[in-house]
Amino acid sequence: MPSLKVPVSWLRDYVDVSVSSDEIAERLHMAGMEVDHVERTWDWDKIWVARITALERHPNADKLLLATVDYGDGRTRQVVTGAPNLAVGAIVPYAEVGAAYKDAHNDGTMAVLEPKKMRGIMSEGMVMSALELGIGPDHEGILLLDPQAPVGARLRDVLGETVIQFEIAPNRPDALSLTGIAREAAAILGTPYRAPAMEPLPHRLDPSLLVVRIEDDDACPRFTAAYLTGVRMGTSPAWMQQRLIAAGMRPISNVVDITNYVMLEIGQPLHAYDAERLRGRALVARLARAGEAVRTLDGVDRILRASDLVIADEERVLGLAGIMGGEDSEIREGTTEVALEAASFEPRRTRRTTDAHGLGGSGGSAAARRFALDLSPELPPLGLARAVHLLRELAGATVVGAVDVYPRPRQVPNVKLRFSDIGRVLGAEVGRDEAVDALRRLGFAYAELGDQLVVTPPAIRTDIGIPEDIVEEVARIVGYDTIPTRLPTGVLPLHERHPLERMRERVRDALVGFGLQETISYALIDEAWLRRLTPDGSPLAPEPLRVTNPTSAQQEIVRPTLRASLLDTASRNMKHRKGLAIFEIDPVYLPRPGDLPEERWTVGVVLCGLAEPVREGETWLTPERVFEVSDLQGVIDGLHRATRSGRGTPEVGAPGLHPGRSWRLVDGARDAVVAGQLDPRVAEMWELPPATFVAEVDLALLLASVRPNAALTPPRYPAAWRDLAFVVDDATAWRDVETDIRAAGAKGGLEDVALRDLYRGAQVPAGKKSFAVRLTFRSPAGTLSDADVDRAVAKIEARLLHRFGATIRAS
Amino acid sequence: MSIVANDLADMATRAESEIAAAADEAALDALRVRYVGRREGEITKALKTLPSLPAAERPAFGAAANAARERIESALERRGGELRASALERDIAGAAADLTLPPRRVRVGRYHPISRTIREITRIFAGMGFEAVEGPEVEWDYYNFEALNIPPGHPARDKFSTLWVNAEGSMEVALAATGTGGRAVAEPSRRQPMLLRTHTSPMQIRVMEQRRPPVRVVVPGRCYRFEATDATHESVFFQYEGLAIDEQLSMADLKGVLYSFARQIFGSERKVRFRPDYFPFTEPSAEIAFDCFVCDGSGTTNAGRCATCGGSGWIEAAGCGMVHPEALRRVGYDPSQVQGFAFGGGVERLAMLLTGTPDIRLFHQNDLRYLESV
Ligand SMILES: [Zn+2]
Repeated sequence: MPSLKVPVSWLRDYVDVSVSSDEIAERLHMAGMEVDHVERTWDWDKIWVARITALERHPNADKLLLATVDYGDGRTRQVVTGAPNLAVGAIVPYAEVGAAYKDAHNDGTMAVLEPKKMRGIMSEGMVMSALELGIGPDHEGILLLDPQAPVGARLRDVLGETVIQFEIAPNRPDALSLTGIAREAAAILGTPYRAPAMEPLPHRLDPSLLVVRIEDDDACPRFTAAYLTGVRMGTSPAWMQQRLIAAGMRPISNVVDITNYVMLEIGQPLHAYDAERLRGRALVARLARAGEAVRTLDGVDRILRASDLVIADEERVLGLAGIMGGEDSEIREGTTEVALEAASFEPRRTRRTTDAHGLGGSGGSAAARRFALDLSPELPPLGLARAVHLLRELAGATVVGAVDVYPRPRQVPNVKLRFSDIGRVLGAEVGRDEAVDALRRLGFAYAELGDQLVVTPPAIRTDIGIPEDIVEEVARIVGYDTIPTRLPTGVLPLHERHPLERMRERVRDALVGFGLQETISYALIDEAWLRRLTPDGSPLAPEPLRVTNPTSAQQEIVRPTLRASLLDTASRNMKHRKGLAIFEIDPVYLPRPGDLPEERWTVGVVLCGLAEPVREGETWLTPERVFEVSDLQGVIDGLHRATRSGRGTPEVGAPGLHPGRSWRLVDGARDAVVAGQLDPRVAEMWELPPATFVAEVDLALLLASVRPNAALTPPRYPAAWRDLAFVVDDATAWRDVETDIRAAGAKGGLEDVALRDLYRGAQVPAGKKSFAVRLTFRSPAGTLSDADVDRAVAKIEARLLHRFGATIRAS
Repeated sequence: MSIVANDLADMATRAESEIAAAADEAALDALRVRYVGRREGEITKALKTLPSLPAAERPAFGAAANAARERIESALERRGGELRASALERDIAGAAADLTLPPRRVRVGRYHPISRTIREITRIFAGMGFEAVEGPEVEWDYYNFEALNIPPGHPARDKFSTLWVNAEGSMEVALAATGTGGRAVAEPSRRQPMLLRTHTSPMQIRVMEQRRPPVRVVVPGRCYRFEATDATHESVFFQYEGLAIDEQLSMADLKGVLYSFARQIFGSERKVRFRPDYFPFTEPSAEIAFDCFVCDGSGTTNAGRCATCGGSGWIEAAGCGMVHPEALRRVGYDPSQVQGFAFGGGVERLAMLLTGTPDIRLFHQNDLRYLESV
């Protein structure tokens, strides 16, 4: 947002500020002129305007005086001072004990004033030099104040320059000036606004002195100029320099300072040319031609683009319109004839040209920053008249003539609204009188036609066009704090949250419930990370989206996978811990030709290092145990059970993971789940231990695999249990065994199969293993008899023998 | 009474004394089997002799057997109770556990402060009838800017330093980086360049395009800016956006909703401030702030200037306003029939305040030592 520094003493030129600087800042802020901060020399919190009422010699020291000060309301104190310039009746700054000041005897560092005995006499405070106040170098004597200054006032209200720094909204370039803020302040305070003195301009100009021409009136809607003679270049007066400095500008010369001063005061940037250097005595606003170049004031030779608006004379380009002048035509020592330009330029073109030539930003051209906004074409004649006035007063100039080229004057809108619109939009009762008073204070013209109101904003306001704008203006002045608060009534729109988002929250709850820590990482990642997901660097994910103007190479890729981020998080944390269990739920971004990318919500999990004990080193109950692939299986299984989801049969192996300790669950053409131990070579690249386990779950597929809720009534009849142990080939997969047991036992009332033990070793032949299972039987129709269960077990045993050649060990 | 029946009574007496002397549950079980076991117990054995007795003696014998069984069973029960009671007493009198020893710890899962805060936000707004919806993070320029009255070259674009995306085969975005500001400005060579959304406001347009009034939604989501990162700024961050459209909505309703939100999040004693602001897509526009709960709005703490509010006494919570009629028209709503309000605020800001997190970068660093502390 454009910022503006407003020295309050300068503001007082145009409006009587009857309240403190803090209060006017607060009230402007609350009316929409955002105050960033208020700055002062310093607070001068306990420093007062005081009168010397008595002065006598210090009894014990020749060079010291005892001064009695009166600082209002009958408050008097005696201070000891060595100042040579005091007299009874002098008005001076007096600092109470506790005041902050610059210690002249200690390189001007800040100190807090304490009561002090000087040669046996207590000094109750101090009278201050300019140095001690921090407003100048002088420490020879006490700063003598204006004899009219009110005794008892705080010094800061009399002397202290208070600068209010505003951040002006980009739709209010009219307020980006001292007079703009003054108009706002006058409207808020209900006091008159005083316009600065303007020079009446003659509306004629001898073409042999200066010709002004607009070649593109879209790019340059208005061009006013004045021709001045007898200009005496020099320095500007101290008061102007001080104001410029306070407002953040550097004084240069009287003519340049006046153009800057008027820019700050009126809001209209100006440019002064050495008129004798204009070839053909012309100022022409036109688009640049192919191959044209100009050396701008900053000494840079610039090749112009055909879309750049320039100011030229009859032969060459003089400068970039509204952005920066050229070296050739610049005023300089010895210039006496000045052509002064005040013009309007189309903001978007100005902005493009500014950016193209690298003149934007806070370090760029101050004029360009203003011309990038929709400045009113009513401003140029005001700026010109004010500048001519100051040039006459401060540079001895005589105005010979002026010209105003304005081919298609901009219409000021008439906004029609009903009084009832104000109440409708604000939800507040604003009286008719109150509303028109607010508009009147802001300088709006209006006509009332029954309930209708026709409003014409001041010509310099370019932000007003619709009834809501008028409502806002009224509300700003009446005060937003007068708007009541209530909760909306009416019909509640009923929509359900998107099922995917509900699923996501259920998954989040489940994983937190499992004891995993949630993480959220940058969605923009380093491209190098993508090459560290497989042992050979081959890509895991499709070609990703790229940020064309990344803030850094580390944030160039719009991530197509969560895995890299999770491994990075794990890696950084494993530098200071031995185990972790984390998850993240976020979209990955998969490009689609000609369309926005698919944002595919993914659940990522990493288990790494020590699983137990939960607290590192605390092994007295729980021996150390590293995560195993079964832990990750447990998380995925838990996720499926918690959400009643999951379908299909996993395949062994997945890219970037351990080929024998990973799996993927394919659903249609997509991976529903990819999980397993990280390929140990990949783990090494991330400086992670081999016991690193990763899972990625496609949230949409998880949702798609949700089974309907099947409420279970607790069974009425008791269950029966049988234990069974049998020997099979070592290569036999448990899943196959379980599937067959369930199939064989289904008719006999088999309810569940639990794996009790897996044994390899001396008790079974080489190349074999033993499974011990517990079988649960139950019938919904009645209690099963021993004979029923025995029959069912026999069937299961027969199936195991038939399918797996199993040897029954015990039952 | 017959001799046989007397024998039964004697047996019961003997059993009672043996039971009373049983030292533990196992001894008691053995006695139970011996005397009243269903197959081989003494009572069962005695009853087996019943058929051999003269008919006249049978009733008396049966009655004696039952009486003996009852005596034995009640003795068993009594002794069993005594044994259990004394076992419990022994256990109670046993060695106390050292409760100061570390427990068998459970793994405690935690939500990330951002997701926790987003839940809190959506929960509060849900209570006021706002449904949570979400939208794309990679967006068209149209939704992020143009439909929100921010055409190319609009000065409001300065506020949104944009990260542009160049998707293969989608479009070209010509970039001209400025020399000094470091800000890149896109000159779209096609109508719709693609970008990383700079705010959640594009969802205002998307929701209105998809729904007819009444509308009440809150939109949490990730946003992106070309921004240097420091303790209070992130290039990737989260916002929440609110939108309500109906026949009779006003600034007063907006104020009420946001007041209610601020108080539900930070307590009912919070004061709320509402002041004019500027957004191209709302008119009138406002900013809502609540008084700082660290310094109670004074701007100073014992340590000097309040770090939480920067000394202003106020914490800016959200930008808001009445939806601009032009935006309504653009989605086919009739501004003379419906109006509404919108608001948007930063999630991190709230999360920092709620958790006491001093530096916004902690959220994305994912240092578990931090995450486990909040
Ligand atoms: Zn505070």
